[in-house]
Amino acid sequence: MPAKIDYRKCIGCKKCYDLCPIDVFSWDEQMNMPVVAYGEECWHCGICWMECPKRAIDITYPASFW
Amino acid sequence: MASDIDRFAEEIIETDVLVIGGGLAGCPLAAKAAEHGLSVTLVEKSQTDRSGNAAMGINYYIVGANPQEGVTAQQLLEWWTNTYVRWTGGTQGRFTNPNIMYQQWDKGLWAMHELEKLGVPMKWFDGEYRYVLDPLRLGDLKVTLNVLWLNVKPILAKAIKERGVNLLERTMIVDLLTRDDRVVGATAVNTRNGKFVVIKAKATVLATGNFARIYNGDMAQSWKYKFHYHWNPATISGDGYAAAYRAGVELANMDLTGHGMIVDELAMGYGLLIRNDGIPGKCLNWRGEEVPSRYWQSMPKLLELEQKGLTPLYYTIEDVLPDDFQKRMEVYLNDMRLATFKLAEERGFNPKTHRYEVPPPMPYTFSLVTGINVGEEYQTSLKGVYAVGDNAAGLHGAYMAVPSGFLLAENLPSIVNNTVEPAIDDAQVESQKEMALAPLAVKDGTEPMELECAIRYICERYVGMLKSEGKLREGLRRLGSLRRVFLPRLMAENPHYLMRALEVRNLMDLAEVHINACLSRKETRGDYIRLDYPEIDSARDNMITIQRLKEGKPILETREVPDLKPEYIKEEA
Repeated sequence: MPAKIDYRKCIGCKKCYDLCPIDVFSWDEQMNMPVVAYGEECWHCGICWMECPKRAIDITYPASFW
Repeated sequence: MASDIDRFAEEIIETDVLVIGGGLAGCPLAAKAAEHGLSVTLVEKSQTDRSGNAAMGINYYIVGANPQEGVTAQQLLEWWTNTYVRWTGGTQGRFTNPNIMYQQWDKGLWAMHELEKLGVPMKWFDGEYRYVLDPLRLGDLKVTLNVLWLNVKPILAKAIKERGVNLLERTMIVDLLTRDDRVVGATAVNTRNGKFVVIKAKATVLATGNFARIYNGDMAQSWKYKFHYHWNPATISGDGYAAAYRAGVELANMDLTGHGMIVDELAMGYGLLIRNDGIPGKCLNWRGEEVPSRYWQSMPKLLELEQKGLTPLYYTIEDVLPDDFQKRMEVYLNDMRLATFKLAEERGFNPKTHRYEVPPPMPYTFSLVTGINVGEEYQTSLKGVYAVGDNAAGLHGAYMAVPSGFLLAENLPSIVNNTVEPAIDDAQVESQKEMALAPLAVKDGTEPMELECAIRYICERYVGMLKSEGKLREGLRRLGSLRRVFLPRLMAENPHYLMRALEVRNLMDLAEVHINACLSRKETRGDYIRLDYPEIDSARDNMITIQRLKEGKPILETREVPDLKPEYIKEEA
């Protein structure tokens, strides 16, 4: 499963949107929050997860990794 | 000169140096060139903080020649030629100019100190350089450092910003601009807002990654996710190679693309734990019988076991002494640090007792000898354009990328000073723009990912590990029909998908070059296997395979690898 955002924890700092190498996120101007817009392109590198200051993002590795 | 270029360029940038790609070659180069007082523009498809091979951090770096420790450039060159190229799925022998490699090993220590000046830490927690038992079979030579590089990319990004490099992030290169057989810059498109950018440059440096996405990649394939960890990051669609090729630049050894490197794709980074000859481990077949450990690194041997029904093979370190395990843990190659630990925790395996499965040989484009053909000053076959790091044949890997970036930056002031103001061919800009943005106007067309998967399917099925004339020809034929039927129908509903469409165009060009190169190599050499030509063709010894476009027609020739210069051959003490 690609990055999943917990909007209760997200503070809208843009780190995930700014740092995803593959640009999986887009930015919702109205909500002022990131959105997983291209989830099927997520390569599970974990950068959003490791950079998120509020641990508001989790990644679950695809089933084929088990 | 009045120009109507403004009509079709939304932004025009003039710069001394254009760097394409902000990784471990591009960033050091851009920082250093800016320090030399040049105006530098760096174009990066992602962003510089977390992108490229070092995005998630690296924990080892090969320093190079080190007189204090008695390590010479010649020793390293021998090792690289005889062992490392082979180990990474290439074949034994020389395929690129050894003088470049020599010069890089020789300047390794200097490059390391230059990196330190940019703020990149080279020392361990205790403040000392920490040489490790080498995971790359360098034996007892003190050349590999354990480094704390989790944040190497943010540090380099900061360094280039501080030095005033003009940074164009989320911007993908479209094509190189040429005039009178000279590269005078490039066109690019912003992948978020679709802005079309023209960059005029006195010197253009290609510093992107390779084109691994023509194959499925190392990681366990899941139908839903089309991008994977490829040893290299998923962003690599060979943008630098492809732009160079279309401009007429020579590519080298596009047939020798290697095979998968990850040992246990399910254990991710931990699968690399066992790639260490310094510490003993055991290789077992599925029945638990020991097989020589070299078997899992030799393509013909692996195939032999596969045919006997003895696979999968497993590698185990469960019997190593606690001390050895500790050493192994400390030095294992791992460039996905945090995510690796997360996976291990979730899957609940113990890295010590886990039996690491050796996956079947998978094709991959990680060969260290593939890339843009460069000379000793990193010049390509076209004037005005240079290649470093993974973009240059023979200069792959962090430890080659960094010195190549710094060394070219040293030459750039004189290159720039001896170049007249570049003039742009407006018609060329216009046609590049038209081509690049075309998918935005296509409705009910083909999604880029669909076409990319079709290219991968062709490469997996008709090229793969076990090659033969008929399969390669069929692959080429099918690729041709994809190009004819689907390339014009590529659609992109927004700039993000436009980036994917441009990537597919690059992958398609490179897949074709790759297959043509494989057709020309009628021999089996090391891990390059042609079922129809099982012997080595001695006419290919020490030869570079060169491919380029000449007036739109693909040309392939072989050329002898230059000898090592006499001054580089020192008597062994």
